[in-house]
Amino acid sequence: MQIDINNLCFAYMHKLVINNLSFSLSRGDFLVIRGKNGSGKSTLVKCLLGINPVKNGMIFFDHEDIVGFKKWTIMGYVPQKFEDFNYEYPITVKEFLSVSRLRQTKDSHVLKLLDKMGILEIQNDNINSLSGGQLQRVFIVRAMLNNPRLLILDEPTASIDKKNVLYFRETVNQLHEEGVTVILISHDESLANLNYTHVLSMSSDFSFSFQSRENAELTPGVNE
Amino acid sequence: MFLSFFSDLFNQDFMLRALIAGILLGIIAPLIGSIVVIRRLSFIADTLGHFSLVGISISFFLTYTFGWTVFSLRPQYLAIVFSVIGGLLIELFRRYYRNYKEIAMAIVISLGAAASAIFFSLSKKTGSLYNYLFGSILTVTDYYVVLIAITSLVVFLLFGLFGRQIISVSFEETNAKFFGINLGVFQLVFIIVLSVVVSILLESVGVLLSSAMMIIPIAAAMKIGWSYRSTTIIAILFSELSVFLGLWIAYSFNIPSGAAIVSVNIIILVIVSVIKRIMIKRTLKKTPEIANFDVGE
Ligand SMILES: Nc1ncnc2c1ncn2[C@@H]1O[C@H](COP(=O)(O)OP(=O)(O)OP(=O)(O)O)[C@@H](O)[C@H]1O
Ligand SMILES: [Mg+2]
Repeated sequence: MQIDINNLCFAYMHKLVINNLSFSLSRGDFLVIRGKNGSGKSTLVKCLLGINPVKNGMIFFDHEDIVGFKKWTIMGYVPQKFEDFNYEYPITVKEFLSVSRLRQTKDSHVLKLLDKMGILEIQNDNINSLSGGQLQRVFIVRAMLNNPRLLILDEPTASIDKKNVLYFRETVNQLHEEGVTVILISHDESLANLNYTHVLSMSSDFSFSFQSRENAELTPGVNE
Repeated sequence: MFLSFFSDLFNQDFMLRALIAGILLGIIAPLIGSIVVIRRLSFIADTLGHFSLVGISISFFLTYTFGWTVFSLRPQYLAIVFSVIGGLLIELFRRYYRNYKEIAMAIVISLGAAASAIFFSLSKKTGSLYNYLFGSILTVTDYYVVLIAITSLVVFLLFGLFGRQIISVSFEETNAKFFGINLGVFQLVFIIVLSVVVSILLESVGVLLSSAMMIIPIAAAMKIGWSYRSTTIIAILFSELSVFLGLWIAYSFNIPSGAAIVSVNIIILVIVSVIKRIMIKRTLKKTPEIANFDVGE
């Protein structure tokens, strides 16, 4: 999916977080967003997802204005925090994924994704009995479930161990190869094994740099 | 005593009506209750009960002052209307006081309690208040049974057609739209259905106990359920058990049905909790190496 962001500004109450941000991604691009805590990475993707209402600036998906945009099911999203998720009521991983499924998504597809993320054996476990890393992988599977055209992942591997991060990166690369546009917020120093094509570095003073991977690798210090 | 209860159950019309009403309520109350619990809205049912009571008190008031007997013959009409109004008010206040959602309930519940007290006393009907506070399933009419049947049908249809979406959005609202769910529509439909169910429960279980009927079976089932499906099925079984036993107790000892049913519900909850405790202790004894650690439930 093609994404165009023009002069985006966003503020919480009176706290300005994003000021005049513009960039474009083409179908199948893979963007990594970097930046210190509080630099506005999560805020930016929430604007893209229509969770933060955009009042200043414009966002287009395949030339369609985000204002009035309805086809949200073509997006998959792993939030950084699950603020309003209820973890107390019993529901198994399988049940949880099955209620998140669109009609056209097949069961076999769900099982395949569980297997790829290495959590097939916990499919009948209760969501509330999972470890943090297992839970995070369940949410990653949920975001990929309905064959999204745009996948937005906000620090999805923060509590996942090395081996499983590798599985995750392989899966994301594969989706990217299949033409899915990917936006990944990452704190990880190393971007090894990620086939990203662009880097957006954000900082708290509202400055940002949007570069292709080749340019980003030439510019020293941009990955900090 | 038990025998005469059973023969009456099928020979007496009023018992048959109570039985049918009880069986249907025993299913839809925990079904709706599970969603109420997941969405952490347990106080909402209480609030709505108070608001449907306003409808009933106004029905009596209209009959008393204007002689419009249709309302006192069918107090369910206004009970449902007012319950839905209460539900919409809560939804409105909840959006207004986003971070203090319980304020919404407090406002609506006190409004409901005050208004119904005023109208009951204006219509000199404070005596019948007791029935609506604790319910009387043994005196329900044919009309009421039809009303319950229709409501149950609507609830079953909603769960049958949209069960997946209902469960998904209940667990987490923010991301609902990525799974093709319209959050606003869901909230509206849910609050209306809940309002109707509560106002229906009013007559047989009573204002003060209708939320208990929805929530306590779920609370007990959550302790032993291993999935959403099993928890819901166990809750319905518990709920039906308490309807049967409660009906028998209400009939035999002439106790308000709501009180009897909810008491059985609570006894079930206690028994389940105790058994679960004992089971956990047992497993700990079998594995002494972890016996010294505290084990959560
Ligand atoms: N809901 C909110 N209300 C008010 N201010 C907020 C809210 N969410 C974030 N902020 C503020 O906006 C700024 C950017 O936050 P954001 O979460 O986008 O940062 P981030 O780059 O994702 O940081 P991190 O690396 O810690 O995830 C921070 O200063 C934060 O305090
Ligand atoms: Mg963040």
